[in-house]
Formats: sequence, structure tokens, C-alpha cells
Amino acid sequence: MDMTIILNTLEEGAVPGQISTLINDDVEVINTSDMKIAHCTGCNLCWLKTPGICAIKDDYEGILKKLVGAENLWLVSDTRFGFVDWRGKKVMDRIVPMLNMYVEFRDGLERHELRYHPLNFGLLYKGQADQEFLEEWSRRVASNMAGKSLGVYNIKEGELCM
Amino acid sequence: MHVVIINGSPRVQKNSNTDKIIQSFGKGLQAAGATFELYSLSNRQEWDAAREAFIGHDQIIFALPLFVECVPGIMLEFLESLPTERKSPAQLSFILHGGFDEGHQFRLGERFLQSLPEQFGCTYGGCLIQGGSFLIRFRDDEKMKKVMDQKMDAYIQMGQSFVSNGHFMTEEARKFIGYEKNPRIVHLLFRLFIKRLVRKNFERFAQQWGCTRPLDDKPYLI
Repeated sequence: MDMTIILNTLEEGAVPGQISTLINDDVEVINTSDMKIAHCTGCNLCWLKTPGICAIKDDYEGILKKLVGAENLWLVSDTRFGFVDWRGKKVMDRIVPMLNMYVEFRDGLERHELRYHPLNFGLLYKGQADQEFLEEWSRRVASNMAGKSLGVYNIKEGELCM
Repeated sequence: MHVVIINGSPRVQKNSNTDKIIQSFGKGLQAAGATFELYSLSNRQEWDAAREAFIGHDQIIFALPLFVECVPGIMLEFLESLPTERKSPAQLSFILHGGFDEGHQFRLGERFLQSLPEQFGCTYGGCLIQGGSFLIRFRDDEKMKKVMDQKMDAYIQMGQSFVSNGHFMTEEARKFIGYEKNPRIVHLLFRLFIKRLVRKNFERFAQQWGCTRPLDDKPYLI
């Protein structure tokens, strides 16, 4: 298992040029702009009633099934207020079924146990944002998934910049 | 003082822990002679009224749960619909809470919230933070009731304190969170005793909800 999932949440849908060159058999890009994905409602059913299964029946279920077979997750997102915009945050809020209700201490911090396996996380963002803030966010998101941060890169005119 | 409180949680109001916190905090506001009006972003029909209230009042509090290390997506969507300039000055404050109880868990979310008021032409009134919210939903459970009543009373007190100070930038509010990280002794106790107790409680709640699968089930495993 060495699969990489790229969740492209850009409103215009199209994958920035440089990213499409990365695509191969082990990399799958999912454009979420034309998918039906609701906000997580924090209902807790995926932890306490139907463990691992989200109560919202929409296109995110297919994404979850793919994440179960993946090792790396990249989020492609536009930004707002110095952070990822709501389109990017929405698909991350729905990741909760990848963890379970049980808690443990991991790296000295309270964490939920993994339902499946560790997932690395990286971020490709568009627009003006606080790079250092996004790096810390990416580290924290990865740490929740017991994975490592793959880095945070700004997309400028189709090119990836450090 | 009149306070506009916007509940930034996506969870439906009747089950919202944020709503319970707001209700207690609001009791404190009222006890100190202030009034408040409340809008819940989980109900889209309240968005227009919430936006009008944000524009028209000078004392605004967003109350929200931490979602994936920051603000819930639904609240980001609402923020994007707000004007970034305003005619009359206002103070923007926050009540941030979440399941885990360590202060460290909230710091990045707090940092984001700190950066917001300026982007809307408002001043920052501070951020009141407390974890351990998961059990609020189970506050009527006989084993949880006492602790949860104490927790809610503390929010009533902070409501009163907000009226007398006018903001959350006080030592009292800063200490509201408790431990920044759990001391080592807690890690040890957790491994020895607490973990098993916590697991049993979760399993009991799940049973009450009609769960028939193990909580660590792997439904999509290939």
C-alpha cells in the first residue's frame, strides 16, 4: 500500500498544471468541486452508533473508502483569513470516521485512536496565507492521524513554491 | 451591555454542547444585568439574521467547538459571507471549547481566532477556552451529572465576569482552561486505571445509542 490521494477543493475544479504532472498509478486526484459533500454536523454517530460509518450519505463516503487504502493525503485548497477556506476545511472536518472514539496518549498528547492506519498529510494552497500557521496546522492534522506532515506549499501560477 | 452570541457549531441546536455552554454563560450575563441574543449557524435560516446582528451590534461573541485543530468549516463559510469593513466599531470575542481538556490542543485555534477581529474591522475581546466538553451531551447520566453541573456553573460565573470586565482578557479567563498539558502522573494513571474506565463509559453510551458493533470496527477495510 503506497497510495496517495490528492483532494482538490479549488472552486474552479481544474487541477493546477504542476500537480497534474505528479499523477501516476499510485496517485489519484479527486476534484471535490462538483461533488455533493456536506459539512460534518458533529453528530458523533460515526464514533458511537455506527462505528466508522458517517451518518451523512453523500459523496464523501467514496473518499473515506479511498483513504482507507491510502498512505498519503494531500489537500489542495484556496485560502481565506490566512487559513484554508471553508471548501478545504469542510473535507478535513469529515475525516473523523478515520479515527475511533477511544482515546490514548500519543506523542505526549491526548489523541483518538486510529481506526485503520497512520495517514501522512500535506497541503497545497492557493493565494495569500500565513505559511507558518499552515505548517503548524498541517503538523497537527498529521499528528491526529499518527502520520507526518508532508509539507505545505504555495501554488503560484501553476508552479509549486516553497 | 447587550451581547450578540453566534453559535459556530454545525451540530443541531438541541444536541449542541456549544449551545449548553452559551445557555449557562447567558445566565451569567443576565445575572449581571446584561442581555443577549443568540444565533445558531447549524440552522441556515438564521444566517441572514446573524449577519445583520453582526453588522448592527458592538459586542459580539462567537462560541465554537474546535474542529480538526481550528474553526469548523461551517463557521468559515459564514465568516466569508460577512462584510470585512464596518461603519461602527465593535468588539469580537470568542468562547472556544472541545473534547480534549489540554490547553495545548486549543492554541492554534486560539491563534486563528485572535487574527480574525482585525480582518473585520473589530477589536479583540479575548478567547475563553475550556476542554472536556464531550460529556456535556451526557450530563444527565448519573455518573456524569455532578461534574457537568460544576462545569456549567463555571460558565455562569464567566458570564458575570464578562459583564464586569467587558472582555475575556483577564487572569480568571486565562486560567479557565486548566492544564496546558497533562502532568506525567496523569499519563501513568491513565494507563493504569483511567483508560479502562473511559472505554467502559464510551461503550455504555454507545449501547444507549443502540450501537451493535465494536467501537473500533473497521467497516471499510479491504
